[in-house]
Amino acid sequence: MADYNKPIPVPDPFVNGPYWAGAKEGKLMLPRCTTCNHTHFYPRLLCPICGSRTIVWEQASGEGYLHTFAVQHRAFGAWGEETPFVTAYIDLKEGDRVFTVLRGVDPNQPEEIFKKIGSLCRVEFEEANDEVSIPYWRVVE
Amino acid sequence: MSNPSRRAAIVAAAEADQIGYLENPKTDFMLGVEAISNVCKMAGISPKDIEGIANPGNANAYAEYLGIVPKWVDTTAVGGCSYQIHTAHMLAAINAGMFDIGVVVHGEAGYSRRNYPRGGGPQRGGDPLGPDAQFMTPYGVAGAPSNYSHAMTRHMYQYGTTKEDYAQIAVSTRQWAGLNPRAVMHSKETHPAGGPITVDDVLNSRLISWPLNLLDVCLVTDHGGAVIIASERVAKSFPTPPVWIAGAGEAIGHATMLEMKDFTKTSAAQSSKRAYAMANMGPEDMEMAMIYDSFTITVALTAEVLGLAKPGEGHTLFENGKAAPGGQFPINTNGGGLSFNHSGMYGMQLLVESYRQLSGTAEDGVNGLPGKQTDAKSLVVNGTGGSLSATGTLVLVADS
Repeated sequence: MADYNKPIPVPDPFVNGPYWAGAKEGKLMLPRCTTCNHTHFYPRLLCPICGSRTIVWEQASGEGYLHTFAVQHRAFGAWGEETPFVTAYIDLKEGDRVFTVLRGVDPNQPEEIFKKIGSLCRVEFEEANDEVSIPYWRVVE
Repeated sequence: MSNPSRRAAIVAAAEADQIGYLENPKTDFMLGVEAISNVCKMAGISPKDIEGIANPGNANAYAEYLGIVPKWVDTTAVGGCSYQIHTAHMLAAINAGMFDIGVVVHGEAGYSRRNYPRGGGPQRGGDPLGPDAQFMTPYGVAGAPSNYSHAMTRHMYQYGTTKEDYAQIAVSTRQWAGLNPRAVMHSKETHPAGGPITVDDVLNSRLISWPLNLLDVCLVTDHGGAVIIASERVAKSFPTPPVWIAGAGEAIGHATMLEMKDFTKTSAAQSSKRAYAMANMGPEDMEMAMIYDSFTITVALTAEVLGLAKPGEGHTLFENGKAAPGGQFPINTNGGGLSFNHSGMYGMQLLVESYRQLSGTAEDGVNGLPGKQTDAKSLVVNGTGGSLSATGTLVLVADS
């Protein structure tokens, strides 16, 4: 934990609070609008689907599917020391999409990762400091 | 309400004294002021004649510096397409009778900025509670290439396109740079890596963000540019030919790529639809295209949503030299952001070259050698801003 040297977000106390509080406990929390029943991400004050403010937070399955990815060969700061690494967008089972650094794949074999598009991924959490744990996603099939 | 189509024209276009990789650093503002000075000289007017001014965020400083009190201002700042959108707004305002002569100005020291006494390096500003800082930056994304590569992967997945397909775009665009002496990659004399390239050169260049290689990625240069836009009433009174603004459209798909629903389509689908409708023309009426080429993938997928090619077939426009000098449908005739100049917001470079092509001034010896002037009388020019986020599309036609 003490050696986590990547950028650590300041948990937003206004809107994203439950997301980061959940991550701290190893849970993926997502916002759902009770008017239109859609889950959305990133979290909003207003539902981006119907405009209502009737948003509740619920624990999600923590599963999704690999939508697309890239292999980063150039990055800044601490990430610059870890190139190449794989970034990806994950389609959440509950709907909408998150961005992550993808685990469980070999950055030196992008053609192999390409074959994994659509594959099941699962979230895991890495403790960054006393307040923040960061979600990472892993290809599991 | 009257259709603003062809109610205003671009009557002059010019650039800063020096562009590209400047030996002596200049500021954004200096480059913009040089361009205004040069475009006014070309149009035979004084900066004092300018009634309307548009720039992404800094119109007030330009107005003050020129000593003018504009009747009309636009500071729309939505990235590289801002200049197409300024042009659209100016067309509407001129059509409404608000003024007769306006300038859209661009100054951006994308290269010199690195050599300023302080600062430099990646700027990590922005809202610490915004979606980028909360949900993107923790994962090491480093600027535009690291984002756009995800769209390229998805395009390859959905359509079976390959890295070789996109590489052709870089090869074709470099051929145009060979006809533009002001292009950074014009020749071995202008840059050690300049001159013609092959598909293999692109594929063998260093990986930046797979599937993007270095030669799939635009330059980072200095640029200043300006265009004068005039009402139909006065457009023919300039010494330079008018190029008519037949259609204009704008749209925003998203801000952060987290919100890009379909990574293979930008809002140019909507902005071009509006531009074509205003012009009463369609993609089949276009005789060339100027398409924002921050990356090869940007051109391929934009060509598709502009209706110039079917989904997944944007790259085929570049096959067999079709978009290259002498080809049947020229694209990015200045050498593009890939090989001419890309300062960060490339929309002005697109506008300047669009004017040159349709006014018959693309082979002036300074910005073009024999073979660069096409015989196109109409074109579609599309700017893209942010992370494939905002778009501005114009349909321009030559004076008849």
